Amino acid sequence: MANHPSDYTKPELIACCGAREIRDGDVVLVGTGFPTMSANIARYTHAPNARLMQESGVFDAQPKRPALSVGDPCLNPGAAMIGTLLDIMGAFLQGGWVDVGFLSGSQVDKYGNINTTAIGDYRKPKSRLPGSGGANPIGSLAKRVIIIALHDTRRLAERVDFITTPGYIDGAGARERWGLPPDTGPEVIITNKAVLRFDRGTGEAYLATYHPDTSIDEVRRNTPWDLKVAEDVRETEPPTAEELRVLREILDPKRMISAYERRGYV
Amino acid sequence: MTKVVTMKEAIAQHVNDGGFLFIGGYICRTPFAAIHEIIRQGKKDLTITRSNAADDFDMMIGAGVVKRFIATFLSLGYFGLGRCYRRSIEQGIPHRIEVEEYTNLSLPMMLMAGSMGMPFVPVKDMAGSDLLNVKSFMGDNKYKIIDSPFDGSRTVLVPALHPDLAIIHVQQADEFGNAQIWGIGGDCQAGANAAKKVIVSCERIVSRDTIGKDPNRTIVPDFKVVAVVEEPWGAHPGYTPGFYDVDFTFGYQYQQASDTVEGFKAFLDEWVFGVRDRTEYIQHYIQKQGYPAFKALQAEFDYGYPVSYAY
Repeated sequence: MANHPSDYTKPELIACCGAREIRDGDVVLVGTGFPTMSANIARYTHAPNARLMQESGVFDAQPKRPALSVGDPCLNPGAAMIGTLLDIMGAFLQGGWVDVGFLSGSQVDKYGNINTTAIGDYRKPKSRLPGSGGANPIGSLAKRVIIIALHDTRRLAERVDFITTPGYIDGAGARERWGLPPDTGPEVIITNKAVLRFDRGTGEAYLATYHPDTSIDEVRRNTPWDLKVAEDVRETEPPTAEELRVLREILDPKRMISAYERRGYV
Repeated sequence: MTKVVTMKEAIAQHVNDGGFLFIGGYICRTPFAAIHEIIRQGKKDLTITRSNAADDFDMMIGAGVVKRFIATFLSLGYFGLGRCYRRSIEQGIPHRIEVEEYTNLSLPMMLMAGSMGMPFVPVKDMAGSDLLNVKSFMGDNKYKIIDSPFDGSRTVLVPALHPDLAIIHVQQADEFGNAQIWGIGGDCQAGANAAKKVIVSCERIVSRDTIGKDPNRTIVPDFKVVAVVEEPWGAHPGYTPGFYDVDFTFGYQYQQASDTVEGFKAFLDEWVFGVRDRTEYIQHYIQKQGYPAFKALQAEFDYGYPVSYAY
C-alpha cells in the first residue's frame, strides 16, 4: 500500500489526480500551473517517458522554475526543440500526435464543453474573457482531454453560456457528426471536490470519486445538474508520499502552487 | 541599399490609418517600442492580429488606435484579464472594437495560407463550437463548411490573411532586413511572410556576413522588409532570449494602472507620451525603477557549440 501523508493541500491533490491520468509514453500538451505540475509528477513517478510540449512552439522544455505562461523565458534554454505555433498546433496536435491535453475554464458544463469567451450574452457580455487561444483546438483534437475546474454551481453549468471548446457538445455522437476526429474528447473533470468522468453512452459527466474532505451529497449539492453517481464510487486516493516529495522538492520548492488556494481551490 | 531608419520614421511612413497589421511576439520578442510609437503618433482605425495577444494589444485597444481585432485570445497572462479589452467590449471605452474570433490553430493556419498564396485552408478545429455561431466584420467569409471533395467528410475552411504590414522584433538583422530569431516562435514567421511588407525591429544590427554564419535562423528575407530599426530593449516589458528577461514587476504595474481609466491614462502619459523614443523610455525606467532593477533583467550567457556550415 502506498503511504499517504495527511498534510497535503487541495491544489496538491488536484495536481496528483491530473498526474494519474497520464500514461507512460504520452505526448502531453500543457499550459501553465496544474497541467505542468501534473505532467511532471507523472514523469518523475509512473510515466518517465511522457513528453511535454507548449503551444507556443516548445518541445521537452527543462525549466528551472515553474513557467508562468506558455511563452515564459524559462521554457527556452534546454528544450529539445523550439519551433512555432504551426509546429505544435499544426504538425503535432492537428497531425494527431497529442495524447493528452489539459484545459481549464471559467465555466464547464455536463458535456465537458468549456467557456473561456464571455459570461452572459456574447453580444453584451457581463464579463469578457480571454477567448479560445489554444483551448478549442486542444479540446477538438487531443485524444484525452483533462479539464480542471472549480466546483460550484456558477463554474459548473447545465449548459455553458458560450461553447469556446467542444466537449461532447450536446451529447454522445455530436462530435462525430461535426467531423471531429474519432476517439478524442474529454476524459475527466478534476475539481476541488471530486473527479467526474464521462458516460460514453450519453456524453454526460458523472461522479467517479469524491475528495476525502467532502461527500457524495456535498458534491451533488454543488453540481447544477442531476449528477449521476458511479456504482463503484469511492473516495479519491490522496497524494502519495512520493508524489508529494516530487512536487515539493523537485518541481515547486517555492510552493507557487499555493496561489491556487487563493483562487478558490480549497 | 540600407533600410535602417528610426522607429518614428518607420511607423510614420508605413503604418496607415485603417491599415491591417500583424504584430509578432509571444511575450517573447513583443515589438513594444513600435507599439508605443504607433500610440504616440495617434494612428487610427487599425485592424490588428496575432495569436495569443497580451498587454501590448490591450494597451493599443485602451489607447483607441484599434477598430478591429482578428483574435484568438487576449489576457495579461499571470495578471489576469485584459482591463482595456474588457472595458472596450463591456462598456465601449474608449470605443467598442469589433472582434473576429479564431483559435491558436486556425489563425496561424490562415497566416500560413496567406504567406503561401493559398486562398484558404482547411482546419480541424472550431467545429461544433460557438466560434462558428459568431461572425463579425468578416461576415460569411469568416469560414465555410464543405464536404471534402476527397472523402466527403465535413470540413471547415478558413480564409488566407494578407496583412498590409507586419511588425516584428528579432534578436538581430542586417541593414537590408534579413531577420534572425531564436527562442519561442509563436506565429511570427507565418505572420511576417503573410504580410505585404515588414518592419523589422531588432536588438542589434549585424553584418550580412554575420547573418551568413547561421542562415537557418533567418525567418524573413530582406526583399520583404521595408524598414530596419535598431531598438535595444525594444521588447520590454516582454523578453528577448539571450538579451533580457520578462519584467514581471512592470507587468504588475501595468495591471494595477490599467485597472481604471484614469490609471491607464496616467500610465500612457508617463511611459508613452512622456518619452520621445525607446532611449528616453529606458532612461526613464532606470531613473524610476533604479539601475539594479534594470541590470537584473539582463540575460546571462549560456553558449553551446557554435554551428558551422563549412563543407
